[in-house]
Amino acid sequence: MTEQLLAAIPLAIVASTPLLLAVLGELVVERAGMINLGIEGMMLTAAMTAVVAAQWTQSIALGFVAGIAGAAAIGAIFGLFAIRFAVDQIVTGTAIVLLAQGLTGVVYRQLQQSAIFLQPVPRFGTDVIVPLAWIAIPIVLALVLWRTRFGLRLRACGELPGAVTAVGASVPRHRWIALAIESVLTGIAGAYLALALSSGFAENMTSGRGFIALSIVIFGRWKFKGALLGTAVFGIAAAAQYAMQASGRGVPFHLLLAVPYVVTLLILCGIAGKVRAPESLGR
Amino acid sequence: MRLTHITKRFGANVAVDDVSLAFAPGEIVGLVGENGAGKTTLMSIAAGELAADEGTIDERESVGIVHQHFLLVSEFTIAENLALAMWGRDPEAIIRDSGIELRDVHRRVAELSVGEKAKLELIKAVARHPRFLVLDEPTSVLAPAEAGELFAVMRALAAAGTTVVFISHKIPEVLEVATRVVVMRRGRIVADGSSMTAEELAWAMVERRQVERRSDSLVPQTSEISRTGESDLRLAFRLADNVAVHSGEILAIIGVAGNGQAEMAASLRDSLSGRVAHIPEDRARDGLIAEMTISENIALAEPRWQPRVAAQRAAALIERFDIRAQSPDQRAGSLSGGNQQKVILARELERQPEIIIAAEPSRGLDIEATRFVHDELRAAATRGAAILLITSDLDEAFALGDAIHVIYRGKLSARLTPAEAAEQAPRLMGGVNREIGA
Amino acid sequence: MSGRTNERRFRFAIAIVAAAGAIIVLALCGIAFGRGPGELLSILASGSVGSSFALQGTLLKSVPLLLTGLSVALAFRAGVWNIGGEGQFLAGALGAFLGARYGMVAALAASVIAGAIWASIATAMRLWRNAPEVLTTILLNFIAIHLFGYAVNGPLQEASGKYPQSDAIPAAAMLPTLGDRELHAGALIALVVAIGVWFLLYRTAEGLRLRAMGFNPSAAKWAGVNVNAQLVRAMAISGAMAGLAGGIELLGVTHRLFERFAAGYGYAGIAVALLAQLHPLGTIASAFFFGALTTGAGELQRTAGISSMVATLAQAIVILAMIVFTRRSKASS
Repeated sequence: MTEQLLAAIPLAIVASTPLLLAVLGELVVERAGMINLGIEGMMLTAAMTAVVAAQWTQSIALGFVAGIAGAAAIGAIFGLFAIRFAVDQIVTGTAIVLLAQGLTGVVYRQLQQSAIFLQPVPRFGTDVIVPLAWIAIPIVLALVLWRTRFGLRLRACGELPGAVTAVGASVPRHRWIALAIESVLTGIAGAYLALALSSGFAENMTSGRGFIALSIVIFGRWKFKGALLGTAVFGIAAAAQYAMQASGRGVPFHLLLAVPYVVTLLILCGIAGKVRAPESLGR
Repeated sequence: MRLTHITKRFGANVAVDDVSLAFAPGEIVGLVGENGAGKTTLMSIAAGELAADEGTIDERESVGIVHQHFLLVSEFTIAENLALAMWGRDPEAIIRDSGIELRDVHRRVAELSVGEKAKLELIKAVARHPRFLVLDEPTSVLAPAEAGELFAVMRALAAAGTTVVFISHKIPEVLEVATRVVVMRRGRIVADGSSMTAEELAWAMVERRQVERRSDSLVPQTSEISRTGESDLRLAFRLADNVAVHSGEILAIIGVAGNGQAEMAASLRDSLSGRVAHIPEDRARDGLIAEMTISENIALAEPRWQPRVAAQRAAALIERFDIRAQSPDQRAGSLSGGNQQKVILARELERQPEIIIAAEPSRGLDIEATRFVHDELRAAATRGAAILLITSDLDEAFALGDAIHVIYRGKLSARLTPAEAAEQAPRLMGGVNREIGA
Repeated sequence: MSGRTNERRFRFAIAIVAAAGAIIVLALCGIAFGRGPGELLSILASGSVGSSFALQGTLLKSVPLLLTGLSVALAFRAGVWNIGGEGQFLAGALGAFLGARYGMVAALAASVIAGAIWASIATAMRLWRNAPEVLTTILLNFIAIHLFGYAVNGPLQEASGKYPQSDAIPAAAMLPTLGDRELHAGALIALVVAIGVWFLLYRTAEGLRLRAMGFNPSAAKWAGVNVNAQLVRAMAISGAMAGLAGGIELLGVTHRLFERFAAGYGYAGIAVALLAQLHPLGTIASAFFFGALTTGAGELQRTAGISSMVATLAQAIVILAMIVFTRRSKASS
């Protein structure tokens, strides 16, 4: 049992890397006062654009660039509605997910009939993404958010936007930048998922990772340490579950899938410890 | 700095009405007046945060302004809040330079007392070395010792040549620290001088209008009863241990706004049950549902509702309460303020309430509408309703009240007759006499 | 009065523009893939309303959309952000399945109750712990999806144990069809519910207070409305309708439970309700529009090889268009 668990850890770390990137991106955005349900759609779109670009150009690097571009395009739509038009972020986010599911579904089916999709997906080489995601990016983001004037203002956007306006800085500008950071991270996440973990695109392949990321941000209490810990716990639990399933033991798979959401619910209710969301989240 | 013929309108409402004012360096100016008198608006214009519709500002200097509502991020530490205001300076040094004591910059603002938060706001303003500093109600949350500390800082700044404007409605404090007092009412300056007494200030501050006096009305003088013996009266409810409201009387609560009146009305809303009518103070927010029709608004609290029946009833009430509306199906939000208040009265009084809580029932209404509101309240009292009238309009209290209590810092004075109140109110409202009852 | 008529016309025009916008985007999709927009529109039309067979398919799809749309419309009208239609739909289907052995009426009642209970979890969390329902209802969706997945893979899996699906419900619990067609009696139930919601909102004191709470909870409170009790009832009624949608889908169409049973009906309800501008009777038309779009998109996939996901795309466009349009109209008034 313990052996299985230990053996599962490296796999779990790799497998939950896209999730972690999404968590980090969503954390930045929520610190700036937005709640982006559309992250699921951003990741899904990124997975598709990354695969198409990689097949077309036979370049993994260009695949990642295209993934970021895809996530940014969807993120820009979210920003247009949530920041520019200031309409309800939850309803916008829900619509963005539907938009991305619809778009990728239509494009995928269309491209299946074209020559591009017959190209092999290039092989993913040395994995720099995992150390980046688990070490470098969280450290850099934490430094930016907690050690720079920009980060201070960005966090103030999530707490008391009026205080940012009062010092002559622009709240929308900081929120757009936060959204750009999230776009880059979810773009990489989607590309990694499709190119490194799956070698191809499948409809709805992100399968709720964006929503789990949202839960983990709450679980980690809007902190980077909490985000890393939450993702690791979730990833290892999932990997252990697969291992146990293979050996024919353990809790039914589907019940375990529900656990992160139940825990998040309990956290939201203040049952599993104190929690304090950014004051102006979603407003 | 010199302000000349400043006027500022918000819609139809004139917040600042042709005000001219000059400030000298080293002055501490107490700017006093009721809520809505235009003090904050005038100072926001002076600070350049708002643009005036008319008028000019000469010799504007660097202005610092500390708002009544703190602009502090409560999840940030003191150091982070200072860094947000001015990046790159050592927070400890900023505090030291300001001359204000605030220890441990690594504490989160959420953990600070309100007094400490007020100090932090002041530090932020002082750190920019303004030549002109505006403090908007800074002492409302301070303990007396902290207020003393604040006054010392103000005097030190003034001694260094800064003009300090101190917005307040606490008369004793203004008299203590200000070298000059300016009183505003309804957007205008009504008094300006350096030697006013507390009574003169209080009297200048509060709203006074010509309203129908009790003696002019046909309603019998029920105040006689209240003096002949309280045992004859039926107790309706208690406001405090020794403050009772009786059926058939109008008990007025007067005081400068912000002394606990709103809290009193809200707690009565949640605690009283039975046939109770509430006329809320904040009409725009709490009065009517602007998106719904007059008929729907009137029917809100009814157990049963049928559109046609309700519309007929509303039509009858529109007639009876003389509401200027095209039809019962008109949106409530499209009515004028006075007519909105009449709709509220119609809704609340129509169910023959035993208790009526009326907060500022005639604020902003014209003479005709005010008279109508007063007549309705008197008629309800004659019918036997117990009425609690919460008002900052003294003439309204004197015209309607059988008995009066003054509220100051959430505490009520002893029960006063209108005559006693007319004599003592200015002093009690200004908090001059600290040993008032209850 | 003419002001209100004008406003109604304006609101109607907004809905038409949003719906037309969605159709135009679909047609443009066709151009991108080398198909004429006219050709696509004609396939869309013939595949959804062009024949009695197609029309029946459209009506079948419209039934759950109408109910989840009503669920969202009522909640949003009352100012309650119930995004949990998907989970309540599944709870309702599960309830109906468990109640099916006691007959059709029991099954329908069970679906209503199950949906209401599932939604009320969010209300309880809001009232006791001040957890925002907009987040808790979303989380409850995922919990419901996984519990549902567990049910059809575990305790409720069919006796043969072959597929992740349940056995069929007893024939006695199935909804009768209307005439000799596929369309089942659930369509009538949904229509009755729509009229019922309209009656509730616009003809009863309860509805008056629900709407008041949605517009201005503070003023409603001062007028003597018990807003907490109102919240409890709004959420329960909203959840009950989403649950009924799941129950009717089981009893009338699928007759068994399987993974991905909800198929997005809960989220689609948001699009349906927003296009109808939260009006219960408008929801009938709006549900029919999206029902037609869904069946038409199925036909597009079969004959033109364009993914039926275009229907989802259209939902997204309608939601985005409607939230911006209605914001604009609110700001201008």
